[in-house]
Formats: sequence, C-alpha cells, structure tokens
Amino acid sequence: MSGTQLPFEHKMSAHCETGTLSSQLAFHGMELSEALIFGIGSGIFFGYFNNKRFAFPTFIVRSKPGQIRKNLTKRLGIKFETETFKTPQQAQEKLDALLAKGIPPATQVDFFFMDYLPQYLRVHINVHFINVVGKTEGGDYLISDCYYPKIVELAKESLQKGRFAGGSMAPEGFLFYPTFIPKEFDFEKAVRKGIKKACFNMLKIPIPFLGIKGMRKFANHITEWPKLAIDAEDLSHQVSKINILLEDQGTGGAGFRFMYATFLKQAAEILKQPELVDFSKRMMDNGDKWREISLMAARMGRNRDLSVEKLREVGALIHERANVEERFFKELAKVVK
Amino acid sequence: MDDTKDLKLQIKEMIVATLNLTDVNPADILDDQPLFSGENVITLDSIDGIELIMAIQRQFNVRLDDQNLARNILNTVDAMAEFITSKQAS
Repeated sequence: MSGTQLPFEHKMSAHCETGTLSSQLAFHGMELSEALIFGIGSGIFFGYFNNKRFAFPTFIVRSKPGQIRKNLTKRLGIKFETETFKTPQQAQEKLDALLAKGIPPATQVDFFFMDYLPQYLRVHINVHFINVVGKTEGGDYLISDCYYPKIVELAKESLQKGRFAGGSMAPEGFLFYPTFIPKEFDFEKAVRKGIKKACFNMLKIPIPFLGIKGMRKFANHITEWPKLAIDAEDLSHQVSKINILLEDQGTGGAGFRFMYATFLKQAAEILKQPELVDFSKRMMDNGDKWREISLMAARMGRNRDLSVEKLREVGALIHERANVEERFFKELAKVVK
Repeated sequence: MDDTKDLKLQIKEMIVATLNLTDVNPADILDDQPLFSGENVITLDSIDGIELIMAIQRQFNVRLDDQNLARNILNTVDAMAEFITSKQAS
C-alpha cells in the first residue's frame, strides 16, 4: 500500500474514549460532542477496589472502558464493528485492509508506546484509544490522538507494541469503527435514559464498593493504607496515584465531574429543562472539591506527609463528596423522571 | 505597559507566589518557552500544574476544566494569557 491519509478531522479532547468516539462519528457525518457522548453513555461512576486482583487498593471514576460505546448503541442505535486478534500480524492486516477501504478505525493501545508524546507523559496505561487515519510510504502509521495537537506519524513497530501490550485490560489489537448511524435520533429519550442510568449506577447498584457506597468505602479504608503499603516510598506512590487517577489519566478534570457538568448544561437545552443548568453548576463546584482532594493527595505524596491523621483528613473530604453526590444524584433522578 | 504585558506579568507573579519560588524573579520567566521541559528558567511538574490551575481559577476567576487542554494552556505564559483573555471575554 502506498502512502495515504484519509480525510479525517483531527480534534483534541479531554478523554480518549469519548474523544475517539466523537471523531469517529464525525468522520461518518455525525456531530456529537464529547460531553454528550459521556452523558448519554452514562460514563460517570465511582468504584473502590480492594481485592486480590489488585496489588494495592485502587478506584475508578468512570464506567469500564467500552461501556460508553455500548450504551451509545443501545440508546442511539449506532452500530459499531469491533474486533480483537490473536496475533499482531492479523491485527495489522485488518488495519491495512480497513485503511485501503477508506475506513480509519479506532484502536486500543498502551499509552507508553506512543512515541510522539513527551517522555514525561508516557506511562503504561493499556486502555488508551487512538484513531489510525493513514499510512506512510515507509509503512508507518498516521495517528489522530486526541491528546496530541495534530495528526502524527507512529512507527509500525510502536503501534504493534501498543496494540499488543499485556496487562489486565490487554488490548489484543482491539479496534472499532461505526458501521451504521441512524438518520434520525430521539436525543431527548437518549439523554434522559443516560441520566437515569447514571443515577442508578451511583445510588442503587447493590454492591458495597460501587457508586456512592464505593466512595464511602474508600473514605473509610484509606486510613488502612499504611498497613497495606510495602514501605513509605510505596505509600507515597499510592497516595500520589489519587491525583493521577483523578486528574492525569484523561479524566477531563476532577474525575470526569467537569465533563458531566458540561453534559448537564447541554442536557438542559435538549430536554428543555433549565433547572439542569443549576445541576451543572453544582457538579462543577463538586469537581472543584474533588480537585482539592487531588491536590492534597499529590502534595502529601510529594512531601511524604503520610500520617494516619492526614489520611483521615483525606477520608473526611471523600465522605463529604459522597454526601454531596448522593444528594445530587437523588435530586437529579427526580428531575429527569 | 499594555494589558497583555500586564497580564503576563501577573501570571508570572502568580506562578512564583503559588509555587513559592523564592529564588526566581517573575520577570525572568520567558513568555514563549515551555515551563515543563527545562527550557525556561523554571521547570514545573504535574503537581505544580494542578496548583496553577487552581491559582488561575482563584485569581482570574476562570475555570480550566479540561485536563488535556490544560497541558497545552499551562505550557507557556503566552498560552495562559491567551486562555485567560479569551475566557474573560466570553
């Protein structure tokens, strides 16, 4: 295949999965903002995990990767082709075949192998999504990565390494692209369903470490972290990770709370319910408070200020967020009935 | 001094005060050179970045609510000034 670049409009975005979805849909003629995708897809979430699968307790602030795309299929009728591969060669052959057909798929990679990013950003996160939009004459690939300001070349070896990185969410060459976009949508219904499901996920999943219950578990358990850490260095790293998980891993800021606030502002117009603008402001303020927790954790990690008393302070702030978000989602559920 | 120059100096003073950089003269920070990669008179890290996001919100009353864009906006004093000016105008 000679060098080619498909007419793919590159966009930067706050979060790789929603940003990639937005770009993929735009390529096929459908404009849907990243925030709307996040909201309709019920992306906002919380979970605290303290079990044998994880070397150290950790938490999530969004639904699991792929769920937003699946929810878009359910709520808007958009269909996606998805595929994983047994070997890198099969994965590359499929990618080349799609590009030859004029289809620029999105693919899952390990962030670390994206050589075009500055070294200080390149950490091992194997659920990063990029669009592959062309190929050079030399056989390397042209990438639209929402974390990078323009379309950029990536060596085919680096792309292969990224697509076949290991780990618990190993990409296995996963790729996806839209195959069907309905001509008409019931946005109002989709937005309402997206909000209702988010409220359910935050308030009613009967599992003690998910949603608001997960926040409270996190708040209570954080004072146990010193007993679980290997040493002070490890504890410092784990506490610093609170900041990374809330702010650094493409969350759109403050654990996706800002992105959800933006969604609610857009939802106010779609549902013709101006009261949702107030909910949007409340979620923005809530995001500010999460960001304060994030900064406090980052400072504690950097300064090795890791006493149980200090961790208890962080726990108290997380409890406060749990109380605020519980009230918030209960009231939101009533408004979108 | 025009408004932009004044704003850039305010940003530099904010950086120095927020990060408690006692040995840095705000005027020495270069407008167009990256602040995170060692090409300016100061080198920031990601925690400094969050400190600055919150300081910008406090001092200039504009919220930087997109962490990915934040990386670009915080990269230089020029970019911060442009962002603050555009947000305040909107």
